[in-house]
Amino acid sequence: MAWSRKSAMFASLAIALYLLGLVLRNQQLVTVAVVLLSFLTWAAFMSNHADVSSSGRRVEDADSDEGIQLNSIVALRKISSARIFEDGEIEVTLRLQNRSNLSKIIEVRDRVPEVMRIKKGANYVLMELGPQRETTISYTIETPLRGFYTIGPVCVRVQDAFGLFHNEREINLYDDFLVFPKMEDIKDALIKSRVPKIFTGAVNIRNPGEGSNFYNLREYVPGDPMKKVNWSATARSGGKMMVNEYERDAVSDIILIIDSRGVSETGPVSRNSLVYSTRAAASLSQYFLSRRDSVGLVVYSDEIVSVDRDTGKKQLYVLLTKLAGAMAKGNTPLKVVTNRIMPHINRGSPIIILSPLEDDPTIVDAVRDLRARNFDVTVLSPSSLEFEFDARRLDRTGYEVLKTERDILMSELRGLGAFVMDWEPDMLLNTALAGARGF
Amino acid sequence: MADDVKVEGASDTAHLYEGKKVRSSAPSRRKAAGRLKSNTEIPADAIPEVHVPSFIESFFGGPVVAKDKFLPPDRMVSSLQMGSAGSLLILSFLTFMITPVSGTAWFAASNALGLGVAAGVFHLLLIAIGLVGGVYGTFQRDRRAMLISYVALILVTIRFAGSTVEFRLDVVPESEIVQKFILILYAVFLVMYMELSSGVIRFSMLDTSIRMNEVYVMGVNKITRKYHMSLALAPAIAGAVALMTLLINLIIPAIVGIFDDVSALRLKESVELTSVYGVALGTVIVFVVIAAMFAINLPLRVQQMRERNA
Repeated sequence: MAWSRKSAMFASLAIALYLLGLVLRNQQLVTVAVVLLSFLTWAAFMSNHADVSSSGRRVEDADSDEGIQLNSIVALRKISSARIFEDGEIEVTLRLQNRSNLSKIIEVRDRVPEVMRIKKGANYVLMELGPQRETTISYTIETPLRGFYTIGPVCVRVQDAFGLFHNEREINLYDDFLVFPKMEDIKDALIKSRVPKIFTGAVNIRNPGEGSNFYNLREYVPGDPMKKVNWSATARSGGKMMVNEYERDAVSDIILIIDSRGVSETGPVSRNSLVYSTRAAASLSQYFLSRRDSVGLVVYSDEIVSVDRDTGKKQLYVLLTKLAGAMAKGNTPLKVVTNRIMPHINRGSPIIILSPLEDDPTIVDAVRDLRARNFDVTVLSPSSLEFEFDARRLDRTGYEVLKTERDILMSELRGLGAFVMDWEPDMLLNTALAGARGF
Repeated sequence: MADDVKVEGASDTAHLYEGKKVRSSAPSRRKAAGRLKSNTEIPADAIPEVHVPSFIESFFGGPVVAKDKFLPPDRMVSSLQMGSAGSLLILSFLTFMITPVSGTAWFAASNALGLGVAAGVFHLLLIAIGLVGGVYGTFQRDRRAMLISYVALILVTIRFAGSTVEFRLDVVPESEIVQKFILILYAVFLVMYMELSSGVIRFSMLDTSIRMNEVYVMGVNKITRKYHMSLALAPAIAGAVALMTLLINLIIPAIVGIFDDVSALRLKESVELTSVYGVALGTVIVFVVIAAMFAINLPLRVQQMRERNA
């Protein structure tokens, strides 16, 4: 039995008045104190009556135990989905049974992760549950942020009518679910490998060859098949025979590198570099995998977590799960990451780095090494400066100084031949990718 | 303007285009992509609310009296407000009736200053503050005003009194039982007022949470009925227990009288037993019995019995 602030105040007042009454020999004060104490005692007596024994066990299991059947509140929960994307909705249904022979007025709170929003219904219910009756509570939660989450426990509370004392039990009923980062539909990432890697069901790379997508026109050379002659272009070129060239089909290895260091979470909870990076990585993974590329992932924080390159839908879920669990911590330099992964990647493979480019003096060296080995490097940099400035946590002067430093760093990276984009918070991923490629 | 234009010989399908924008070609995706932006609105959680704590808040680690915003009162809250105001009115009258100025600190101070009337004025002022502050606090749902009211109404009773009950009004009968009954009535109304006024805040919070969809209540009527029943029952029980303790000077001699009439008579005439110390003795006896009930876990046993018999 727990005391509320009100009951503690009443008890203190009663004791104080009682003692004061005895000292001053004042019957009025003593009488008030006695009435207050009697009032408290009655409430305590009544709240003990409403004792709740609750159990988190399933109803079927509870049947075997007579002790739990008596006086027990049993809860069962069902969630509509255990895997969902950001901004999705999960319907939760909580079944409560009163196994007691007495009616009870109970408060039930199904504990929901703090970042979740209740969209429909309520997870906090005050109700009277009749003897041997059951009821169902339904509510819908919105999942605004990626991660691993748990719903539960179910807190059941019974208190006296005056709110002076309460008994509380937690029913250890937990349901886990996973929120994947949301994905943006990408029309064209403009990123293709320069290195062919022939597999069945190959896709286009940026070298001309036997493919299906038009690449350019060139003059006819002996040996070209006649079906490749572009007669319209030939007519326009004043007698020179022109032939179509097609992009060579191949599968690319795409490596996504996510900066998940502590600094990447600078900014508000829902708008920071890590949130944007994971969403972009999810969108890019989906796009490349749908193109039948092999996609690998490296997430670096206080450790380096990597997912080996693979194709297919299964790989997408593996990547999404890793992205959902990415936590901002540590300060591993990019150079350590690139040194570790470079020997395992085919030269010329596109590498996409998603990083705020902050607090890491090895960035330029790392990108230089990658470029020296002919990797196609794209850097998408969600700017934490913008997040901080938008949130009014950074003044104008500080913003301008940091922005200038950032621009210099980006220019340096561009000078190394990397495609770099300062990804502003309101920019679509498509636009950012096009911007990185100079479109 | 568009509505005014009449097309000659408009076909029967004209109604299909009413209120619709008809394009000559499909909208350009590229153009749309150029214009498209994700939501640029700054989310509410991005801008932190800064609250600089006051000295008292810093000292206590938070506000002593919470400030809450409530929606307009519903029927339940309104009825509680009326009940609270009614009990406050009766309480103020009872306070005026049972608390003489003599023996109070302000009475001593005004006598020392030679301003005999000032004590009476101050005494009435305290009761008036208790009444007005309480009514204001109840209807405005302001906890600070309620707290001031509680303090004023308790402060007015603090006086160095004789051991027996003294009343301000002479119209009160001399009978001991009637006097003690009035005293208990005063104490019960004080507790009722405190409970009802805090109930106004509690149910306002609940009502606001319900209307803001933070809490869902199933069977509101049953829950409020239980509260109403408790409001009637608890003061009656508390009053009965208090009456037992106040009448201990009659109960003990009655019990002793079964065995020895002379001792019973001596006890009945004992000054200590009729004084405040007699009440203290009564309190000890009554609460020892109650403590014994809790010690043997009687509430739980009663509960188990009810469960079995239900």
